[in-house]
Amino acid sequence: MNKKIGVYVCHCGGNISDYVDVEKVRTAIENDEGICLAKTTMFACADSNQKEMVDDILAQKLDGVVVASCSPMLHLITFRAVVERAGLNKYNYVHANIREQVSWAHSDNKAGATDKAIRIVKAAIAKVREAESLEPLKIKATKAVAVIGGGVAGLRAAIELAEAGSDVYLIEKEHFVGGRVSQWDTLCMTDETGKELVTRLYNELMKHRNITLYTGAEVVKHSGSVGNFKLELTLRPRYIRFNCTEEELQKAIDVCPVEVPDEFNFGITRRKAIYHNYPSEYPHLPAIDMNNCTRCGKCEKVCSHIDFSQKIKQVDLTVGSILLATGFDPYEPSEGEFGYGTIKNVVTLQQFKRIVHYCDNNLVYNGKKIENIAYIYCVGSRQLDGENKYCSRYCCTSNIYTAITVKKKYKTIHNYHFNRGIRTYGKQEVLYEESSKLGDIYLQSFEDDPPVVTYQDGKTMVKINDILTGHKSLEMVADLVVLVTGMVPRKDNATGELLKIPRGRDKFFNEIHMKLRPVETVIDGVTIAGASQGPKNIMESMNSALAAAAKSFSLINSGELALEPIVAKVDKQICEWCGKCEAACPYNAFSKLDVEGKTVAQVNKSICKGCGMCLPVCPVDAIELTAYSNKEIEHMIDALIPNP
Amino acid sequence: MEKRERLVYDVLVVGGGIAGCESALNLAKLGYKVLLIEKELSIGGKMILLSKVFPTLDCAACITTPKVSEIARHPNITIYTSTRSSSIIRKDDHNFEVRLVRKPRYVHIDDCTGCQLCEEACPVSITDEYQYGMVGRKAAYVPFSIASPRAAAIDIENCTLCGACERVCPTNCIDFTMEEEHLLLSVKSVVVATGFELFDPVKIPRYGFGKFKNVLTSMQMERQLAPTRPFNTILRPGDGKMPDNIAYVLCTGSRDKSVGNPICSQICCMYSIKQAQLLMGALPMADITIYYLHIRAFGKGFNEFYAQAQDMDVQFIKGKVGNITEKENGNLLLRVENIEKGTIMEAEHDMVVLSVGILPNMDLSESFKNEALTLDPFNFVDQADMMASPAKTSIDGVFVAGTASGPMDIPDSILSGGAASAEATSYLRRDTK
Repeated sequence: MNKKIGVYVCHCGGNISDYVDVEKVRTAIENDEGICLAKTTMFACADSNQKEMVDDILAQKLDGVVVASCSPMLHLITFRAVVERAGLNKYNYVHANIREQVSWAHSDNKAGATDKAIRIVKAAIAKVREAESLEPLKIKATKAVAVIGGGVAGLRAAIELAEAGSDVYLIEKEHFVGGRVSQWDTLCMTDETGKELVTRLYNELMKHRNITLYTGAEVVKHSGSVGNFKLELTLRPRYIRFNCTEEELQKAIDVCPVEVPDEFNFGITRRKAIYHNYPSEYPHLPAIDMNNCTRCGKCEKVCSHIDFSQKIKQVDLTVGSILLATGFDPYEPSEGEFGYGTIKNVVTLQQFKRIVHYCDNNLVYNGKKIENIAYIYCVGSRQLDGENKYCSRYCCTSNIYTAITVKKKYKTIHNYHFNRGIRTYGKQEVLYEESSKLGDIYLQSFEDDPPVVTYQDGKTMVKINDILTGHKSLEMVADLVVLVTGMVPRKDNATGELLKIPRGRDKFFNEIHMKLRPVETVIDGVTIAGASQGPKNIMESMNSALAAAAKSFSLINSGELALEPIVAKVDKQICEWCGKCEAACPYNAFSKLDVEGKTVAQVNKSICKGCGMCLPVCPVDAIELTAYSNKEIEHMIDALIPNP
Repeated sequence: MEKRERLVYDVLVVGGGIAGCESALNLAKLGYKVLLIEKELSIGGKMILLSKVFPTLDCAACITTPKVSEIARHPNITIYTSTRSSSIIRKDDHNFEVRLVRKPRYVHIDDCTGCQLCEEACPVSITDEYQYGMVGRKAAYVPFSIASPRAAAIDIENCTLCGACERVCPTNCIDFTMEEEHLLLSVKSVVVATGFELFDPVKIPRYGFGKFKNVLTSMQMERQLAPTRPFNTILRPGDGKMPDNIAYVLCTGSRDKSVGNPICSQICCMYSIKQAQLLMGALPMADITIYYLHIRAFGKGFNEFYAQAQDMDVQFIKGKVGNITEKENGNLLLRVENIEKGTIMEAEHDMVVLSVGILPNMDLSESFKNEALTLDPFNFVDQADMMASPAKTSIDGVFVAGTASGPMDIPDSILSGGAASAEATSYLRRDTK
């Protein structure tokens, strides 16, 4: 049957037509076999053109449509929907990319670009001629979401999902929820403390019966796909029974002979191997850190609720969607970076916040009263030589807020800000003004000439070529140097690797499209929230957590999912199971099947992504990809490279 | 004209910009009936009028138009353009009584094909606000080529009632008997996505905007760079010369107490850097200088985008522009404090772009009659629980999305729109009536 085909060549408002002669493309194909209609359009995606397409398809009774425009990443779905509205099966639509692959790539060669565009459109026409109508694969979706990460973003997302009506499994690697925010005192803009915020969220979380919280939990295995992910968790025990009293516990903590740096305070204090996160932690029960416990047994003697017989547990979950809110790590300066680790009164911003937390009437560090503080900005961010080219977004504001807090709390403080251009964007600007009014001194340099921290004769000196005073070389003696360290992606990316979540240049999780699909990943059904996607302050993390919750929920809400029918098909006559397809498949979609005594490969359609990795490895050519059959591809190649 | 019957929806979304659209679409997809009202003739807000957007240089229209189209078609969404709310009264939980005023368009949208014959016939020529005053339009006009709905409207203030448009209209969709409509509405929840206003640089007379023709606002430059651009190239409005030495004046109307706006507008640094990169593509020989106080390249990929502009040889001079004077040939002299050198300098440019900031749009706050919609000290909608529920406002059941709550870039506005829809969803689910 000869199809009646319509072709639309898009100007993209100049994005394409500035470099590709779209009218020439149109005339080059308008007389090709089966072409009933060939048009150019300013914006193919605009509502007016979409309406026109629907009218054309109906009036001309088209049964195949090609739009030559941008990347299918952007608008394949848009135009499939258009042809569907006109009553066509959406797989009779083929997208030709003449923007990313032509006009933007060949802006230096207009004639060549036009020629390439013609070939690409001809190839798309060749494909549409062979295209078959397909029906989407319908699968049942489990109405449950796994939220991985129990920081504020994860907590908030879990609450939202539960309120919307989904079952939620909140999976936290540590024994306590609250993440980084529980480590902060008052938060800028609201003056609520981090602990209070975590308390509020935790209490809200506990109200929801459809949320199950797993702490000490890690996802170790995963299979399945959107709608039905299967996750295997391991739960590390706390080695303390829940009915333990405060009094007995304190005794156990007191007798523990092991002391290690306390991560909650970024190593400025020490804790025992049996430890609280902080006095009002959630869930409110300490844990024993088995990496450091010597099993001396002293705690068991004073506390009957210590239970070393507790075993690592395994839990299997099935969820429709996964929301990742795995957070960030604070940048850890390298040894000697601005004196860190080599000069003892050099600390990070995170450590400084904990120091301030523990100092009441006087700010004291290492036994010395602190009056003059030097803050060095952009440590670990905006690196000239290092990997971190990005700005960490929250640190300017966070540091200025901390400096103001310190100045108000201890009257004799002098703050000196060695910055690279203060980025208190938006309303946060008022903090910058407030700190300036309080008499804080700002000194600035650029990336290529950072300040220098030295230690001589018992004094810590900070020196800068200050651009605000016409490059004067200025120097001060600092009682404390605070390195304003930014956010880096989690060192432990086990979950990201397990789920195969791609990361951006900055190594944070990458969204599909910053503006169109900002919380979705290329793995269908996996959304990302909070600082796992990139540096954010708390409010921004909340917005992204809520947006991700909305997206995850909308996937599973109806209980049914329509998947792309573009999957691999095995010809069971030809296949002689060799296992090469199984080895090549990145999604574990292949398994063995016995058909009348013969072993052949079979494809799990709901797992297969139609990536095509299995096709070239099959030695007997037994696999074809729906909608990308050999016949279709061969015709496309013929159209791309016409015989001379 | 008062319509007596009461319309019933689950959610009223006020504002059809990118944040309002995101909220409306999310709610509609979950099955809620949404009424989206927009005071302009087209939805799409400011974003639909932009060129390319930072830091990915995606074409703004390519992102906005399909979204706008999806909203326009969604069976659960009703759109009223040229519509404002005159009163919003919270009667009870999940019960708001809303009054809307719908201005007549004098064109029946459903019948209009957007053929623009009326535009050709119309004898009246006036300034085109969608091209930010750089070119003219007719009194009968399609607002802009990718408007949604793409239908004509009659600007009755400037119309001479000559009837030329009516006579040429092939579908007889022009109707001068249309009247203002007053609608009564019951909704369970309200999403405020009223966006922002741009700072009007006439308020800083020493920059000469409105007096010197080659001093533009950044939004005018945005239009010159957009696919639906007025001149089809970059021209300076004074004499039509292609500029080759362009200056950007950052923080025009932001971080400036003298004009009553102490805060940073959050987007101007980045859009200026973006425009500089686009200009270097459009005018390869042009020099671009950006006068700045601090470059606020804080978002994902932003600092890298700033570094890219520096590598492309965009000049960045740290300093505040004091005043601008015009030379006889239309060039402009900028008196600038060069902070890095510690000197006052004078620089000549043939075109100046004022990077104007974001101001609150206070239109809607008066509509709330019995319970006040609290504003923050800068007159943006106050976020009642910024840290835990950023979309919550002072009124239970009213949520805020996008720049209505403060300066924000596009990715943040979309996330905020998503957050507002999530919070509205859980609020609606608590409705047990």
